[in-house]
Amino acid sequence: MTEAVSADKMRRAAPAGQLIDHERSFIFTFDGKPVTAHPGDTIGSALARAGVQILSRSFKYHRPRGLRCCAGHCPNCLVQVGDEPNVRACLRAAQQDMVVEAQNAWPSLRRDALSLTALGDRFLPVGFYYKTFIRPRALWPAYEWVLRHAAGLGRVNADTAPATYDKQYLHADVAVVGGGPAGLSAALAAAQQGARVLLFDENGELGGHTRYKEIDRTAFGRDWGLEINDMQSPIPNLDIYTNTTVLGYYPHNYLAAVRGNRLFKIRAASVVVATGAYEQPLLFANNDLPGIMLGSGVQRLLHLYGVLPGSTAVVVTVNDDGWQVAHDLWRAGATVSAVVDLRSAAPTSQAAAFKEALEGAGARVFLDSTIVAAAGKGAVQEAIIAARGVRGGPTDGGSTRLPCDLIAVSGGWAAANELLYEAGAQIAYHESQGEFLPHALPPGIYAAGRVTGSHSLQSQIKEGREAGSAAAAYCATGKVQENFAHAGERREESAPSVEQDAHHSAIVTDGNGYENVRQGKRFVCFCEDVTDKDVRTAIAEGYRSIELLKRYSTISMGPCQGKMCSVNAILLCAHANGWSVAETGTTTARPPAKPVSLGVLAGQQMEPVKVTPVHDWHRQHGARMMVAGIWLRPEHYGDPTAEVQAVRQRVGLIDVSTLGKFRLTGPDAPQLLERLYVNRWQKLSPGRVRYGLMCNDEGVVLDDGVTACLEPQEYYMTTTSSGAEAVYEWIQWWAQSGWGDGVHVTPVSDVYAAFNLAGPQSRAVLSRLTPDDLSNDHFPYMHVRQMQIAGVPCRVLRIGFTGELSYEIHCPAGYGQFLWEALLEAGADHGISPFGVEAQRILRLEKAHIIVGQDTDALSDPFAAGLAWAVKLDKPAFLGRRSLARVSEQGPALRLAGFKMENGAPPPAEGLQIVQPEGDGALQIIGHVTSSRYSPTLQEAIGLCWLPAAMVVDGQPFTIRLDDGRLVQARVHEGAFYDPKGEKLRT
Amino acid sequence: MLILDCPNCGARNTQEFRYGGEYNPRPAEPDAADDAAWSSYLYMRHNRLGLQKEWWYHRAGCGLWFLAERDTGSDKVSRTYFWSREQIP
Ligand code: FES
Ligand code: FES
Ligand SMILES: [Zn+2]
Repeated sequence: MTEAVSADKMRRAAPAGQLIDHERSFIFTFDGKPVTAHPGDTIGSALARAGVQILSRSFKYHRPRGLRCCAGHCPNCLVQVGDEPNVRACLRAAQQDMVVEAQNAWPSLRRDALSLTALGDRFLPVGFYYKTFIRPRALWPAYEWVLRHAAGLGRVNADTAPATYDKQYLHADVAVVGGGPAGLSAALAAAQQGARVLLFDENGELGGHTRYKEIDRTAFGRDWGLEINDMQSPIPNLDIYTNTTVLGYYPHNYLAAVRGNRLFKIRAASVVVATGAYEQPLLFANNDLPGIMLGSGVQRLLHLYGVLPGSTAVVVTVNDDGWQVAHDLWRAGATVSAVVDLRSAAPTSQAAAFKEALEGAGARVFLDSTIVAAAGKGAVQEAIIAARGVRGGPTDGGSTRLPCDLIAVSGGWAAANELLYEAGAQIAYHESQGEFLPHALPPGIYAAGRVTGSHSLQSQIKEGREAGSAAAAYCATGKVQENFAHAGERREESAPSVEQDAHHSAIVTDGNGYENVRQGKRFVCFCEDVTDKDVRTAIAEGYRSIELLKRYSTISMGPCQGKMCSVNAILLCAHANGWSVAETGTTTARPPAKPVSLGVLAGQQMEPVKVTPVHDWHRQHGARMMVAGIWLRPEHYGDPTAEVQAVRQRVGLIDVSTLGKFRLTGPDAPQLLERLYVNRWQKLSPGRVRYGLMCNDEGVVLDDGVTACLEPQEYYMTTTSSGAEAVYEWIQWWAQSGWGDGVHVTPVSDVYAAFNLAGPQSRAVLSRLTPDDLSNDHFPYMHVRQMQIAGVPCRVLRIGFTGELSYEIHCPAGYGQFLWEALLEAGADHGISPFGVEAQRILRLEKAHIIVGQDTDALSDPFAAGLAWAVKLDKPAFLGRRSLARVSEQGPALRLAGFKMENGAPPPAEGLQIVQPEGDGALQIIGHVTSSRYSPTLQEAIGLCWLPAAMVVDGQPFTIRLDDGRLVQARVHEGAFYDPKGEKLRT
Repeated sequence: MLILDCPNCGARNTQEFRYGGEYNPRPAEPDAADDAAWSSYLYMRHNRLGLQKEWWYHRAGCGLWFLAERDTGSDKVSRTYFWSREQIP
């Protein structure tokens, strides 16, 4: 049909859509053409009213697709809105001047060049990812280009301004998911019992299927809750979240939900799942043509938006729902040319009345019949109907061709049971209903309504009330109440009611009858363009288990996550294998149950960093800051080389407030130190400082630092900046599981600022600020003193990571910036320079001091790392002793070694491999570089690396492979590169 | 995300805690342990399906380690308590 004509036709006799404001209208564009919409319209409803039938092109074959479910359950209406891809047109409210475009169509929606793939589907067989585009490998870039262009779903604009996403925590006694009749009744029942209730529904208003069906809302009593939509004063203990989609269930009743750009994290004592069901499609040739819709999709268009999606309709149904759809269509002004019911018996009760009315209006009725195929170019023009054979398929007898522009399919219901699966419910296939229904629910989880297979309003309301009461009782007592023990469970096979006595399964499983009908593809999975033939082929190829079948064919792995196909896939798989459905099993349901944008999951950028008390000064003085663990630290102040030279020749000052710092007090403090470190501590007297090396019981190096003995029962321990937190947890663990008697460990990392004043003139600078005697005799290397510096009480440790005479000054954090500035001022005449992390890295490398975590990894023991001198195997029990004793006997296979580059080569990047060329030109990897820098002091490139132990001999040459493949030479250098005897430290 | 009952602070989201692995007591006399026993302490874990005794650390809270008895299948935590010499053989 042409768009101009149909638009007119459809407007005729359109029923009043309850969401639409007919009085007002506005314009948006779809693929550049103006479309008129009313307030209340979705993009999809406005396009349907305008007669636009093709909304998208399918994923693999680029077949035209149109509105199908109008509920966000299928892939057919994904469009691009401005910069936002994959918007469901049937859900997104239309807005003035919105720019909507089709996706996956090139060059245009109506004339899609790639739909040629439909001509030769030999090129896209099932499992085509695995088969077709693998060899030759060299061609992969070309394949990839083609595939990326063919298979795109929308496009992302990398320049889009970042939106604000946030999250909110919600707490409840009872969380109810789904605001249909069952969910509403549950929420009200629970609230009436005093529970704090949260009710979530993904639609804009509550009511579920009653929103789009002609139902006498008062027939079931007013108190089941629908009037809540109109309530002025809400119930205080019931909070309603509409437009909110629950994405997943996580342990201990934790739910994730999303509304717009907000993620809700919900914790509830009890959860009622009333998520309803997805109406299912039927399997017939060309079942994907635009103009073929689900019955419930037709009803949504009619009742919510006042759109009549066709003028001549054929309705195919497996239950009474289809009769109501047909009746609704007829009342809205469409010609219903036929109703095809797959059941053999004529409908009873209400549907019988519909049948009578429809027959009176001239509709043909086909019982015990099915649809074999649809035909049409670009949109449906004909339905081909035949009687069903013994196995449920069509007989070989004659078929009837019925012209139409709309086929409404009521193919039965698939329970929306994702959350129940995730919550650990046992779910079983119920033959009589053809549905997967909850069989046993975990404590505190309840189900009600369609998700349990209840399709009558009456039973939905009743179940909802029960589930709500049960959930409220469960929260009040923490126990499952006897009388509600099985609320929401379907243990017995209930006798099929008239309403639901037939189901899509019977139709799908009997594919044999269709084999002769070669009129087009029968799609099982619309998202991934998988046909029943593909499924049979995959099974014939050996992918028989449902999990393998899913991965191989990609069935149920599309944007709808199997809502339209997973039940049919299971049934088809069962049938093709000759298995029962129970034997076939199901695939695993994982969150998210509904699509969610990554922005919502990423949330706000919140990466907290810690700053030192001198942070502002650093910023004001041109420091280039770097992230080091959780800290922001100055990398340098413009020229790291000059900073190194200042320390080596004069004096420098670095902010080391980031060090981990702990106070250990108590009579057994030395004993705890003995156990934690591989060094000896008992003889450390007050006023002395010792380097400590910490290993775990495997003998692997965990951390290092210095510890000072301040008083006989008081120690001050420092750790690496990055290790501070882990070391504290480590110490606490041992202290709290048996080693903590007689000792108290207090974390004081943030209590003290710490600076290292380093360089030959550091003593001269410091003596300007303190009256204390700083002479080498009075305050020697590896000692600690309490002193006033510039009037600030300080703890000063004479240690030297940099290799120069240096003082590590710890003062209360509040004095940090004052003392920092005082030190710089005092050093001005001496040419003092602040230095950053980069200069410190160079300085320590010149001394061949390791950085734990950079030069060591999870396999490095102290013997291999060149720290054997620290390990005192003769002292009793300490962490790592048992393993280190063994390692010391065997000797390390690899060792950490210093190296210098040959021939003036620049420093190789850290992480590069050390290789040994083999005879045939191949390279064997024998080690790697962990640290490397150009040393301004030595004027050559130096570093640390791991090498086979036998090669760690001074002067041993070896080869490093650069990123670009070039090989460069280096030589082992044993000991420190600078001042190997350590004399400068001790002067 | 689970809820854990810190014996000191009460029920909190697991986000506040660090998982410390299966309870795996250190041999009282490491030197007396033969290689098999020592390497089993270092490297072997049960990875049980069912009730497991495990360590947790209340990192964003009181800074205390405690033991939890958790069913790894259902995530039901039946008990949380501090280590004590008496309780541990
Ligand atoms: S028509 Fe929009 S998701 Fe099905
Ligand atoms: S139809 Fe959507 S995944 Fe199969
Ligand atoms: Zn706590």
